[in-house]
Amino acid sequence: MHIDPLEKKWGQIVLVICAFFVGIILFEALFHSVNAPSNVETIDSTKLHLSKEFAEDKLGVSRDDKGNIVVRMVAGRYSFFPKEIEVPAETKLTFRWVSMDVLHGVHIPMTNMSTMVVPGFVAEVETSFPTPGDYPVLCNEYCGLGHDQMWSRIKVVEKEKWLAQHSASKGGNKND
Amino acid sequence: MPGLTEEERKKILNGRPIGTWVLMLTVGVSMVIGWLFLYYGVFIPRGIVN
Repeated sequence: MHIDPLEKKWGQIVLVICAFFVGIILFEALFHSVNAPSNVETIDSTKLHLSKEFAEDKLGVSRDDKGNIVVRMVAGRYSFFPKEIEVPAETKLTFRWVSMDVLHGVHIPMTNMSTMVVPGFVAEVETSFPTPGDYPVLCNEYCGLGHDQMWSRIKVVEKEKWLAQHSASKGGNKND
Repeated sequence: MPGLTEEERKKILNGRPIGTWVLMLTVGVSMVIGWLFLYYGVFIPRGIVN
């Protein structure tokens, strides 16, 4: 098969560029832990209110003795619960999302927080918010007639301010 | 290629395709710079996800 030399050269350049991109992604994955979230954990979506982790009083931001911050959120038609939370900036946060009914999606614009929330599974995502501010939390999977009104809010505050406000046992819920 | 002498025509056909190379280089470099900007300038600063 005859391939024009110029076309061949162009093909080689494209391959080199692709290899370069893949190399960077691999480097970041191996040395800086930039990976796609891959947690697989099941839960009974019909009994969230009875579960130890996702009962109403357990939702929101919590910090353990080691300083790990876990945010537990429930998605249900048509809101995310709690409706408003406060988290520190520049801090590793572990988000654990569950759905109480149908398939939902979570998207926080201008951040990398984005995941599907599949009924029966816990979606766990670790991330951080470098810039303080108010961020909307939007559903990005069509879940019914009220889908476009499904949102909540995350307030990202300076780390020192957040730590001063919350003791080890308290979370960052607006209702605390 | 009307309007060209036989000599000019041969010169063009046998010469190096500099214009094409410049175009390829421009497109390739622009794409790499754009990708690097989106990855290191937008994606990573928004917070590492795993």
